Amino acid sequence: MTTQKPLELILARNLMSALSTPAFLVDEGGVLVFYNEAAGALLGKRFEELGTVGAEEWGSLFGPFDEAGEPIPYDELPLVVAVRNGRPAHADLQISSADGTRHRVEVSAFPILTPHGSQGAIAVFWPAGSSNGAGH
Amino acid sequence: MKVKLWGTRGSIPSPGPETIRYGGNTSCVGVTLADGSMLALDAGTGIRSLGLALAQEPARLHILLTHLHLDHIQGLVFFAPAFQPQTEIVIWGPASPEASLRDRIARYISAPLSPVEVRELPCDVSFRHCPQSEWEIGSARISAASVSHRGPTLGYRIDDGGSSLAYIPDHEPALGADLDSLEEDWISGLGLARNASLLIHDGQYADAEYPDHVGWGHSSLSHALSFARRAEAERTVLFHHDPMHSDERLDRLSEEARERWGAMGGNPEAIDLAVERAEYELPTRMVSAISAT
Repeated sequence: MTTQKPLELILARNLMSALSTPAFLVDEGGVLVFYNEAAGALLGKRFEELGTVGAEEWGSLFGPFDEAGEPIPYDELPLVVAVRNGRPAHADLQISSADGTRHRVEVSAFPILTPHGSQGAIAVFWPAGSSNGAGH
Repeated sequence: MKVKLWGTRGSIPSPGPETIRYGGNTSCVGVTLADGSMLALDAGTGIRSLGLALAQEPARLHILLTHLHLDHIQGLVFFAPAFQPQTEIVIWGPASPEASLRDRIARYISAPLSPVEVRELPCDVSFRHCPQSEWEIGSARISAASVSHRGPTLGYRIDDGGSSLAYIPDHEPALGADLDSLEEDWISGLGLARNASLLIHDGQYADAEYPDHVGWGHSSLSHALSFARRAEAERTVLFHHDPMHSDERLDRLSEEARERWGAMGGNPEAIDLAVERAEYELPTRMVSAISAT
């Protein structure tokens, strides 16, 4: 018998696929398992092109950088805090898209808690200074 | 493994002359394992007939509940073995952060909805949350996984004697998802159904009815067929008929399902619409041993 992803991740991905707000999804081990089209537009690369990215690896693909332009340690990223500590986290940071353009964004991440414990976390990206999270 | 459909209807019992062939009882499937162990999948009103049909009360039987919507538990207090002191009944079901399985079921088996309370049932009844890993009942290995429906809901797979039964009666895997293109492990329930000898799956709505019921937790005919194609089950039974569907309507849906399944490259005879009291015997197969050389 093959195994499916936890239902909560499946439903999260289905919801994120329908959103215009950039959103990322990691599993309980911190592996980046999905981001939606809006996030792909922000990063300049669709998830289908990149595929699943292991924990510790995905952080470096897009920066992220603090206000001074210094790389933010992986352990301090909101998604990592959410999945490891099981609590919401928020940050203002910069990410780098595939063409090198930097985008200032606000990131809110929250854990996906289930009766069987944490199954991962979701992060929603909000372009800083924008009143429209979709960036339109 | 022998499988008998005791209730095939969804939502609410729908007895009457217009539903007499496909049946009006709500979800219940009886399973007799190779070693004689007895399972009931869900306890809709069909379980009343199952209880009456048991010529000799088994010493122990297991009821596997997919979820606690009324059409899946309504028959519990009319299940004759529950009133036999010598019978042991183990009720399995989904966990919930809100309350234990026993406490949630007791909301139905208690006043004012029921004349008896759980503690008054003469049988030896126990309640267990389904584990996330496989477990054994009699000669079978049982797997359960959360599936897309409203509220905590499980699908089951029963592997016994080299055959397998997947039971996912309430399921909307296509909610926000493209079943034809998604990777296998991102499709709700597919791991349970993969290569099953028999897949019993939600097929509540005709395609034209689905747009008015998006998010209600059930499948359209197209979604059920797409799911079955991805699962590559040997035989699929479409289950949980809408209470508004008469026998004549279900005949037309059956014909459409078989035509479309044939057009998808499948054997039209391998798709059935569930009929109350229909029986399926899943052959015991030799399981090849892997030699340790």
